[in-house]
Amino acid sequence: MSIPELLINDGFITASEREEIEAFSAESGLSFLKIVLNFGYISRKNYERSLLNAGYTFAPVREMEYDAEVLSKIDLQFAYERVAMPMRIENNKVLVLMANPNDELFLDFIKFTYDKEPEIIVAYDLEIVWLSNKLLGEKYVKSAVFELMKRDPDNSAVVTFTSPQLIFIFVLIALVTIGLVLSFKNTSITINVILSSFFLVAIIFKLFLALVGSRFELHQAVTKDELKLIVDEDMPIYTILLPVYKEDKLIKKLIWNLQALDYPKHKLDIKLLLEEEDDKTLNAVKNLDFPAIFEVVIVPFHMPKTKPKACNYGLHFARGKYLTIYDAEDIPDTDQLKKVVSLFGKLPNEYVCIQSALNYFNRNENFLTRMFTLEYSYWFDYMLPGLDTLDIPIPLGGTSNHFKMAELIELGAWDPFNVTEDADLGVRAYAKGYKVAIINSTTYEEANNEPFNWIRQRSRWIKGYMQTYLVHMRNPVKLWRTIGWKGFLGFGFFIGATPITFLVYPLLLLFFIAYVIFDLSTIRTLFPDWVLFMSIFNLMVGNILMIYVNMMAVFKRRYYELILFAVANPIYWLMHSIAAYKGLYQLIVKPFYWEKTNHGLSKVNNPTNVVK
Amino acid sequence: MRISKSVYLLILTGILVIYYLVCAIYLHDLGYYNQESLFYIEKAKIVFEGLGNRLKVMGLTAPITPFYAIFVFTPFGYALAPILASAMGTAGLFYVMASSLLKNLKNDFYLWILLAMFLFHPGLIYSACSGKGIYMSLIFFFLFFINLFKFYKSNTTFHVSIASICLVTLIFCDYKFIWLTLFFLPLVLSITVHSLKLGEQESIFRLYQSINSPSLRRKLVNKTFSLYIILFALPLVAVLCYKLLNLTHASDLNYFNESPYATWNVLVDKLSFDAQTAGGNIKIPEISILLSARVLLFCPMIIVAVYLLRESTYQVLTILTPFALIEFLHIKYDKVYVGYQYYLLFIVLAFLCVIIKHHTVKNHFAFKIMLGIMVAVQIGMGGYYLKTSSIPEEKNFVNILFNRTDDDTQAENMDVANYIASLPGDQHILIDDATAYPIVAFTRDIRPLIMPYESSFLSALESPDKYADYIVIATAKNVLTGYTQLNNKYIIQIKKTIPQMDFRKVFETKYWVVYRVIAVR
Repeated sequence: MSIPELLINDGFITASEREEIEAFSAESGLSFLKIVLNFGYISRKNYERSLLNAGYTFAPVREMEYDAEVLSKIDLQFAYERVAMPMRIENNKVLVLMANPNDELFLDFIKFTYDKEPEIIVAYDLEIVWLSNKLLGEKYVKSAVFELMKRDPDNSAVVTFTSPQLIFIFVLIALVTIGLVLSFKNTSITINVILSSFFLVAIIFKLFLALVGSRFELHQAVTKDELKLIVDEDMPIYTILLPVYKEDKLIKKLIWNLQALDYPKHKLDIKLLLEEEDDKTLNAVKNLDFPAIFEVVIVPFHMPKTKPKACNYGLHFARGKYLTIYDAEDIPDTDQLKKVVSLFGKLPNEYVCIQSALNYFNRNENFLTRMFTLEYSYWFDYMLPGLDTLDIPIPLGGTSNHFKMAELIELGAWDPFNVTEDADLGVRAYAKGYKVAIINSTTYEEANNEPFNWIRQRSRWIKGYMQTYLVHMRNPVKLWRTIGWKGFLGFGFFIGATPITFLVYPLLLLFFIAYVIFDLSTIRTLFPDWVLFMSIFNLMVGNILMIYVNMMAVFKRRYYELILFAVANPIYWLMHSIAAYKGLYQLIVKPFYWEKTNHGLSKVNNPTNVVK
Repeated sequence: MRISKSVYLLILTGILVIYYLVCAIYLHDLGYYNQESLFYIEKAKIVFEGLGNRLKVMGLTAPITPFYAIFVFTPFGYALAPILASAMGTAGLFYVMASSLLKNLKNDFYLWILLAMFLFHPGLIYSACSGKGIYMSLIFFFLFFINLFKFYKSNTTFHVSIASICLVTLIFCDYKFIWLTLFFLPLVLSITVHSLKLGEQESIFRLYQSINSPSLRRKLVNKTFSLYIILFALPLVAVLCYKLLNLTHASDLNYFNESPYATWNVLVDKLSFDAQTAGGNIKIPEISILLSARVLLFCPMIIVAVYLLRESTYQVLTILTPFALIEFLHIKYDKVYVGYQYYLLFIVLAFLCVIIKHHTVKNHFAFKIMLGIMVAVQIGMGGYYLKTSSIPEEKNFVNILFNRTDDDTQAENMDVANYIASLPGDQHILIDDATAYPIVAFTRDIRPLIMPYESSFLSALESPDKYADYIVIATAKNVLTGYTQLNNKYIIQIKKTIPQMDFRKVFETKYWVVYRVIAVR
């Protein structure tokens, strides 16, 4: 009895579902088993039950011996597609691991390629996926890591500081030191004035962006009426990459969120990207007692162990015309994908990416989540639309950025050596003449509710901003020419200034405390009144404006209850400063180290964000 | 070739600038000055030509925005800078209003009406040619309200934030506008009640419903509070910071508002108080409620504005807040006459309402005729109010403008300044610019002057023989004699303290005496 018949016999699928699966298989080229297990028809547990009832046994395969010569004749793509792979030749037969022992296509391939009869060993599909990626994935993982570096070394963060940058930094340090030795007072005054003025200008720029962005807060990039015109059959295949690491607790939540997406099921190509050693999450997927709606891709071990590397690897298996990334805990607006397709249809060809807004579902959990919500609200609701309006490079958010697949590959995809690969990609796209748009759709994430976890995450972001700034400022003149003066200044003030303001902030605060609170005489002798006046003015006005920008954030989202928390922004910024110094330290000693953010710490449950 | 509307508007504004400049320079040649412009001239001279630490003068002179505005024009001469600023600024106000008008109205009639007002309204000419900072208050008042009305329409954070920023600037144009925040309390509540999604249409019932439902009440409170914060947090915090700067640099929170060294109207207001208490001439029209009636007479267009907004309670409340403001100012500063600039606010506001609400008018022909008549009445009333103003400066302006006679109010100050200018360059003159700022404003070179902003002033005051060669003293007849240390009593006192020092009168006018300091050995 064939596997489809077996499943119908056991009542796990109906005859009409079988027809549907076979039709889909013929149309897409996907194997029957892939569709059955990854498109929500049956759970892996039931599949196992069916096969066991039919007398099959599942062999443990992870430690199985293999012959490299045998493996060299099969490509990972094919093995992955058929969920099967040959291991070695024994007794003049090819030992073959198969999740679907009736896969005639694969059996014919074995006979034809090796000119021997196959001996089938039935194994769990996820075990075969794991093994095939591990044994056959080297070429792909190398490509994921080094492709950008080979194709476009100037844009790869594999080198953190270039020689001219190091010379510039050391010359600057030398000049400051000489200045301090020759005239300590005047040099200190100059540094103070430059830093405090820079602090204020950077914040005024943020306010300006927020105001520009807020002007269009009611603008609907895609309206409800436009959404109604969308026909499901015309929708293209949409790839969703889900890079996860040790997120076993979130797998069920993830499936619920994905199932809620309003997009034709067969047009979705969802890839759960797991690291080779992440057995926890793999076991969680194995043990699911309800049907999954994603395919698992195992990313073989290779340094650096970063999210962009996983995404680049997943790209090799993606089938979609469009592609997006979500985190495990993300809850996108249910109509987000359709909106994106509609907007891509309206926008000129140079738009290769659409960024959705991000926000938090657990905003009222504690002080940190409230502050984080305020920050994300002004960032995604005002700042990014502001950048968009002014045609300044947009640093993409970590998730929910939707790409045109072909252009993403052309750009060299994500830089695995950059820890804010998203921000880097946004700038790179601009530098290549492409544009990024913003859409009126939100993905709700889990705000970090634990201070140390928050600092870890933020230090990575700030380090990534530093990396991105260093990468794109290797040749400032070239950057100026490619993205124009507006883009250049915007890039400088948005990407470059962000880490600097956080680094400068505690210093200014120190002056303020020393001068106003403790009234230290030393500081008065070092700095004349006008310098102290200026730096305190800059600090105070900077803080006030930043508080105001935070306050603005509550309006679009109607989070009125959060408005007073904006006053705590100076404290929140101190946390940023801690993270910035940590990021700076890591930039020097371990630039590619990916500070993992723990998810699933929130106690808040949020229903799927159904858009009516 | 057809010119675009914006170019057309720029040409009109240019013509207006020339017109204002001709009037202003003509008045200037007739010798017209006022306390505010003289104060700005003097402070600007200190900033650009003074010696020593000028940070306090630069940072704490109030109102700060009109003061800074004249900096741009100082290359054309200190005396001309304030009038150039006010002429350009008033034309700028026209441009801002007219561009909003063109965006909203297709009919050129309204533009001509606006232009007529800017050409002929004596109040607007006063704003343009006096060198005062009125124009700036009017610009930001207009921008504040237009953004508020835009917010009502669009409900975007952008407009409410811009309104807030305009209010900050408005407060730094005239500190008294801080009180607007007080009268916006009920208004903000009314806006929030209006924005709640309720079936009930009547405002009072909407309020009743929202207060009686716990969830709506929470929403109402949160939203009202948030709106109030977003609108007024910036102005209030800006004022707080400014006060802190005053505290750290002048050891007085209210230095900018209460010190005659920081602002011109402290002494002017005190004089107004003296004139009122000494003369017993209480001005009947400046009585609460009657003041609002005076506004209605001055600007009947405001009635049209109320009519246009009649369908929305909170919008009517919006244009009633300036009434509340001037009534409040009259009560709070009861010994000070309400300045002409506060009446001008209503002209700007009324026109704004016409711009944004004219589409609700059914009979445009009748509306235009009515508007034309009202503008004519307003021009007439504008002249009448200036002519009968209780503030001498305003009255003086209109007299000089219409009679074209020389103004000799500053003649004495000019004489003293000329005398100082005739002294040898290495001589030092002790002078207190709290009261003598007009003299300093007319003085060609201020470097020989020892003034309170300089650290040597106090020492010079204690021992003038060591620091100064001359002292400028206010005579007993000078109404400001009580507000300066350098008066007749100072001479007597210092002679007692330092017997070996003597003073010789070298120049004298009715209000000022210049003494030469003589050390007797």
